[in-house]
Amino acid sequence: MGVIIPDELYNFIYTEDIPDQSLWTIALGDANVAMLGPLFKGMFRETTDVDSVPQANDTTLDGVIEPKLDKFEFDVPVGERDEFVEVWMQYQITVYEPGGGTVLQWPVSGYGKSELVKDPEDAVQRAAIVAMREAGATIATKFNQQPQIKDWLEGKGYGTPVTVGQAAPGDTSSAAPAQ
Amino acid sequence: MRRPHNRAARLRALGVALAFPLVGACGITARIEPYKQTDAVIAQGEHVVVLARKQHATHEAEEDFVQCVSDGLADGKHGLDVASSKDFEDKMYPWFEPSTAPLSTEDLSALLQRPGVLDQVRETGVRYVVWLDGSTDRVASGGGITCAAGVGGAGCMGLAWWEDDSRYDATVWDIQDVESEGTISADYKGRSVMPAIIIPIPLITRPQTHACRGLADQLRQFLTEPGGYEAERERRPDVG
Repeated sequence: MGVIIPDELYNFIYTEDIPDQSLWTIALGDANVAMLGPLFKGMFRETTDVDSVPQANDTTLDGVIEPKLDKFEFDVPVGERDEFVEVWMQYQITVYEPGGGTVLQWPVSGYGKSELVKDPEDAVQRAAIVAMREAGATIATKFNQQPQIKDWLEGKGYGTPVTVGQAAPGDTSSAAPAQ
Repeated sequence: MRRPHNRAARLRALGVALAFPLVGACGITARIEPYKQTDAVIAQGEHVVVLARKQHATHEAEEDFVQCVSDGLADGKHGLDVASSKDFEDKMYPWFEPSTAPLSTEDLSALLQRPGVLDQVRETGVRYVVWLDGSTDRVASGGGITCAAGVGGAGCMGLAWWEDDSRYDATVWDIQDVESEGTISADYKGRSVMPAIIIPIPLITRPQTHACRGLADQLRQFLTEPGGYEAERERRPDVG
């Protein structure tokens, strides 16, 4: 499987100015790559980094997979009653034929929460890691259950795919409010 | 003319007189209910791991509470081999995430039948999983303290109190035999009081700390005594 990691995923930075709080800058590029690279390596027999589709000249590829981080939201508690920082993110997983045709466009969400103990930055980082792990777990466990993927694999002559354990994503995300 | 040391002595006496009922108002009430279904005990070389149930939207066992229970199980000359929760979740990824973790022993059985998962579990060396569910919440509070400062000095007056309730359930699974060993329910309530007579005097109880210690002790008995709590009750008839 060819793997495209687009530049906007490598360089993903989310910025939000929360009224009465701070300007938050959350960098997820490294964490995205650290999670998705090993995840795809575990999901497929062999992976190759490619820059784009089509890759019709490469006859070794069965397909190409491209993840994008479409949406990111987070919430930091402001009142005494709120205890948890929450993060929600949505990836778009696209699978292509080597010739460029689209096999699957699949939105995958991840939700994470973390107790706000002392430092809101640490809590946002922990919640983001949980959300990414959740998204990765969904990709790893539900990918071969997608009807388009089942049909595609059958068409390629592959038997029933199996889902085995994957490498856990690294925790290299950083979250820091600009004061 | 009043002498300063008489006033100071009267204030001290007043403080002592107030302290006794206030100290009495603080304290922890505890209830632990263990229920062990089998006679299995942890053997040499087998590990136990403590994990938090994360399926609830509104609460989950606090990370530091999970760590406290893990540390409590590992401490002391009768400490158990406790695996790191994070390492276990990493090695078992993606099967013990909030959305994928087995919720019952039936789910666990189905999970272990997936290709490669049983090998993953064996590599961790873990035999028993302790699922922690619950939280510590402030259930009541009241009173108030007023502080003021002036030319002659500053001070506070009043009384604040609050009550925290630590309720946790620990469910023990045997991964090897794919069965539930039993549960331990713990409920620790603690009332804290802060009178202020010139200066605030905090009399704080920490039910979560007591809950951690209590649960860790009970879990250790659970995993090392064939009868668990029953064996302890036979040794100490006053425990009940």
